[in-house]
Amino acid sequence: MKEKKVTLYKAVRILLVIAFVAGVAAIALYPFSNRNLTLHFVAEDTEYVVSRNNEEISAGNCREVKFDENADEVCISKLRIYGPSKSTLLKEVTFDELFRYIERVENGEAQWTSEGIVLTGVDNIQFYMNDDYVTMLQKQSKSFFQERFVMEGLYVCLIVLLWFAVTAVEERKKEENWNNHGPVFEIKKFCGDIKKYRQYMVYAARTDLKAEVANSYLNRLWWLLEPFFNMIVYVIVFGNVMGNSVENYSTFIFSALLMWNFFNKTVNYSVKLVRNNKDIITKVYIPKFIILLSNMILNMFKLWFSLIVLVVMMLIFRVQIGINLLWVFPAYAVMILLAFGVGMIFLHFGVYVDDLSYAVGILLNMLMFLSGIFYDTMTTLPEPLNAVMMCLNPVAVIIDTMRNALLYNTAANLPVLGVWFIVSVILCAVGVHIVYKNENSYVKIV
Amino acid sequence: MGNIALEVNHVSIDYKNLMHMSMHQSLLQKGVKRADIIRAVDDVSFQVEQGKILGIVGRNGSGKTTLLRSIAGIFRPDEGYIDTKGNRVSLMAIGIGFNPNNTGRENILKSGMLLGCELDYVKEHMEEIIEFSELGDFIERPVRTYSSGMYSKLSFAVTAILDTDIMLVDEVLSVGDEHFRQKSYKKMEELMLSDRTVLIVSHATDTLKKFCNQVLWINDGKFMKLGDTEEVLAEYDEFMKL
Repeated sequence: MKEKKVTLYKAVRILLVIAFVAGVAAIALYPFSNRNLTLHFVAEDTEYVVSRNNEEISAGNCREVKFDENADEVCISKLRIYGPSKSTLLKEVTFDELFRYIERVENGEAQWTSEGIVLTGVDNIQFYMNDDYVTMLQKQSKSFFQERFVMEGLYVCLIVLLWFAVTAVEERKKEENWNNHGPVFEIKKFCGDIKKYRQYMVYAARTDLKAEVANSYLNRLWWLLEPFFNMIVYVIVFGNVMGNSVENYSTFIFSALLMWNFFNKTVNYSVKLVRNNKDIITKVYIPKFIILLSNMILNMFKLWFSLIVLVVMMLIFRVQIGINLLWVFPAYAVMILLAFGVGMIFLHFGVYVDDLSYAVGILLNMLMFLSGIFYDTMTTLPEPLNAVMMCLNPVAVIIDTMRNALLYNTAANLPVLGVWFIVSVILCAVGVHIVYKNENSYVKIV
Repeated sequence: MGNIALEVNHVSIDYKNLMHMSMHQSLLQKGVKRADIIRAVDDVSFQVEQGKILGIVGRNGSGKTTLLRSIAGIFRPDEGYIDTKGNRVSLMAIGIGFNPNNTGRENILKSGMLLGCELDYVKEHMEEIIEFSELGDFIERPVRTYSSGMYSKLSFAVTAILDTDIMLVDEVLSVGDEHFRQKSYKKMEELMLSDRTVLIVSHATDTLKKFCNQVLWINDGKFMKLGDTEEVLAEYDEFMKL
């Protein structure tokens, strides 16, 4: 009887694995039809939206662009190309490039200035684009990379959730489960631990902060000065020396740098966490994630301080903000979850593997330069790579979302961000599971 | 028979000889060789009634500290189970989570909360702890400026005053100067009369004779004897003679 049950669960698991492999392959290889595009011509205060479906595009029937506007003068600064849903940004075309696509203009005149393309003339001005433009649109329409990624992500999450469900059922069915494990039990334990140690987390973070600055002359000012001077160095190196033409470059870097620092510090700390907190861990039982959370709260305090500088900078440089600013919060939420999940997993391996901290240091350094802190991922990287980065590199996705919301009042690419949110939650669950399972042997090793 | 406060049931604890590995090593060699496993505590069972004081004796390396640590929940036994009946357990150790850069007061709060007490509860007992630790003005200075005696006095005070149900004492009764030692003995006597359950590990048989109701003797991780203080200690002394 008992053996039969075990084989049943095993069979379900094997089925899940098969379904996983088959589904992933199917989504990767299935020839989806081309996608429809929505073109947003961004002017100073409005956007002109043109929709094109995939048949029009593949037939090359998409050359004319009409602006029905009665204003005397309109300045187009860029063209944004979105996929079928409003939130999937595929490509950004600068006005320089856009100007090259124009073959002729009817009912008015288009002129290139350093601000953008200025349209003057009577209403109903109309563009006729050249062949390059058509090819560009066709290319955007054909690629289904982002949609595939979102579908793959959702599918993987579904399978993982089913896997969790099977484990949960199995755990419930087992009668002699006195040493308590399984997802249901773990979630309960996790919440209980957070509740029990919440005061400690916050207090420990506060005292650690205090200890950090207790003996320095400039005291709390360091939390402002450190990111600020880092930013200045980067602005000089990447902006002035290397030549980078992003406007508001200092705000551009600083906002991303704050976010990256938080992620970087959390992951770096977690690798050496057990060894650094030997004093506590060998003398009293404490769930290990509490220490990590406490450190994250500490970094959060510092982040709040630096945000003051950011706000001041935004005021000085007159950054236009709008309702889309609210997207900053989901971006930060995903980043915190991701940092916690990745941190928990590194925490575990950091105990056993001595030189992991070097490897993680190198990886983080690489990630920093791949995540578009110093450049805009979408426009700076070459054509196929930017889309890949914007899907597969969570840090790039998060930073781009945050910066778009903060500086450009642009909505997030919700499907991709959503997938990374779910993946982060799963990473957290896996990390907490690994650490709960093994934390009793950490003491014996350190 | 009073209530059982602590039950240790056929507990065995292994130390795997898992040292830190480099990445290269851990990739090449999976798992641990059987021979590298050291059994520190081997099939020990006993029960302690509420309010009783149990002494634990044994030679160096016989697994006393390991046993205390697993009772404190720092790690789970590999076999058997430990049931603390929902009591809060504290292992009296030198400086739980003391951050040398924080003041004594901050460290009291922090380690109090680590022992599972509420913030308000620790704050209420703050003055009592400070008074007991005899630190005076030093309490507002960073712990790194303390002498080692002051350091241990502070940590003893934290665990002695904060009310955990089961207290585990690991050879720290000989803390501080003569005056403080007498004071801690007095505190122990007080605890003995109160409802707290205490487990003491010590090599000083005099101390054990003075305090304990019962003594447990373990040798090389194995359970040897549990019984009246006088009886077990006499046998233990006999065993330890050259």
